[in-house]
Amino acid sequence: MQSATQARKYRLQGAGLDLALPYLMLAPGLTIVLGVLVYPLWDGLRASTRAYRYGSPVSDVGWQNYVHLWSDAQFLNSLWVTVKFVALSVSFEAVLGFALALFCLREFRGIRLLRTVLIMPMVITPVVVAIVFRLIYASDAGMLTAISEWMGGGEVQILGNPVNAFIGLVILDIWEWTPLMFLILLAGLQSLPHEPFEAARVDGAGAWRVFADLTFPMMRPVLAVAIVLRTIDAFGTFDQVFVLTRGGPGEATRLISIYGYDTAFKFQQTGYAAALFVTIGLVVLALAFSAIRLLRRIDAS
Amino acid sequence: MNARLARICVMTGVLAVVLLPIYWLVSTSFKSNREITQEGTLYPHVPTLDNYVRLFTEKPFGSYLTNSLVVTFFSVAIALVVGAMGAYAIARFRLPFAAERKVGLFLLTLRIIPPVVILIPVYLLMLSLGLLDSWLGLIATYTAFNVTFCVWMMESFFREIPVDLEEAAMVDGDSRFGAFRRITLPLAAPGLAATAIFAVLVTFNEFLFALALTATPRAMTMPRGTATLIGRIDTDWASMAAAGVIGALPIVFFALLVQRHLVRGLTMGAVK
Repeated sequence: MQSATQARKYRLQGAGLDLALPYLMLAPGLTIVLGVLVYPLWDGLRASTRAYRYGSPVSDVGWQNYVHLWSDAQFLNSLWVTVKFVALSVSFEAVLGFALALFCLREFRGIRLLRTVLIMPMVITPVVVAIVFRLIYASDAGMLTAISEWMGGGEVQILGNPVNAFIGLVILDIWEWTPLMFLILLAGLQSLPHEPFEAARVDGAGAWRVFADLTFPMMRPVLAVAIVLRTIDAFGTFDQVFVLTRGGPGEATRLISIYGYDTAFKFQQTGYAAALFVTIGLVVLALAFSAIRLLRRIDAS
Repeated sequence: MNARLARICVMTGVLAVVLLPIYWLVSTSFKSNREITQEGTLYPHVPTLDNYVRLFTEKPFGSYLTNSLVVTFFSVAIALVVGAMGAYAIARFRLPFAAERKVGLFLLTLRIIPPVVILIPVYLLMLSLGLLDSWLGLIATYTAFNVTFCVWMMESFFREIPVDLEEAAMVDGDSRFGAFRRITLPLAAPGLAATAIFAVLVTFNEFLFALALTATPRAMTMPRGTATLIGRIDTDWASMAAAGVIGALPIVFFALLVQRHLVRGLTMGAVK
């Protein structure tokens, strides 16, 4: 007995190779991540304090790129467009997804079909989603125009009009991502304990009371996580805008990611674009960590 | 009765909203450009496969598809192996200075930063290594992103598996790594599958880095290739629609095939 315990302890603490095992297991992943993600991140930080001008040597400009951002009307506009886009899309997705999840909570025939169909928007390649919506919005070949002409109307202008194009982009995002909200919230609803609901039913509580006093408070953590995940993701939205509007008309749908991309690859202002991206990264990280702290507080209470 | 009617209405509404746009894409892909722009029909009156044929004869969609499959396969496979090992180390070992927890937190932080943030330096890195417009450049980039994701996902799966099983195996003479490979890994298979599926989806659909890092059919992936049809003055709607269908078909088919795992993978992280 004594020796068995000894042997077990010996093996668990590891000897020889086993001692190095955790490091050996972590090493390959960390090497790849350090080389392809962390080194570029550091390189980006370095680039953000420099100016790359064609025909003149690279020069060190310190914080100048960062300072310049806040007086750049185009940057401020793209930031505003992004905030509007994220706030509108995510709140609609949360409300619609929650409503749909509540609706599907009770098992009924056809729910599996519904779930299968709802998976499609979020797995279809974002570039293709954007093509789908171009085919809907296009004034000459679009579905809306076709329907309008079929009913005797004229061409429908979506992508040529700043307000409509922005709303059109938000609708695309809602179409694509409400299903994710739905699936997360449905899983959350299904994992709630049954007892409080049975008690409420025995007490004869109405549907609204049950929702306001039980469902919603208990779902708050899941709802918060879903919203945080979506918000972080939506901040980086690029593909759909690139294909649908390329940021236009004018600057109406130019999200921060598109502006950064153009700054770097179209206008070749590498240093300035790097500063812009570092700023976005910091903003998103700050958002995420304050959200995590908030979630912990919800969990604790 | 009333509730049932309401249910049918909502069901029909949701199905219509989701499926109508997809219907329009598919139906457009079977029309000629003349029918699309001049007649504005609601369904293809003269269905044709020309648009699809053109993609593979006049345009290199065969290469795009091959590139996508190769890049997705290798970057997900490597990331799974490497990520599972890393996740296991973080979940099971207690290192000096809580190093394993710090590494985990560090990888999570990297995961939160939007990928677009490191687009420029990754482009410069691949430029200096001569890896622009190559499979290897894309595979390296996607593998790195997938590793952060796999570690984060797999770690929670490994934590759920009781340590006792590994200890029993080790008492019976297995090495620590042997116990991981023969006991823990098979038990974590469902989690591994969910992780792999999710990684495949994200990698196959990736566009931003493919846009910056590739320039010719030699390495362009499906989404990147599809986007080359866009943005000219007179848009070739018919080809674009067909390209959309071809671009999305493999991944939609894949998703429907693994639906059950997919839903679990998507929702698990958030609910826990």
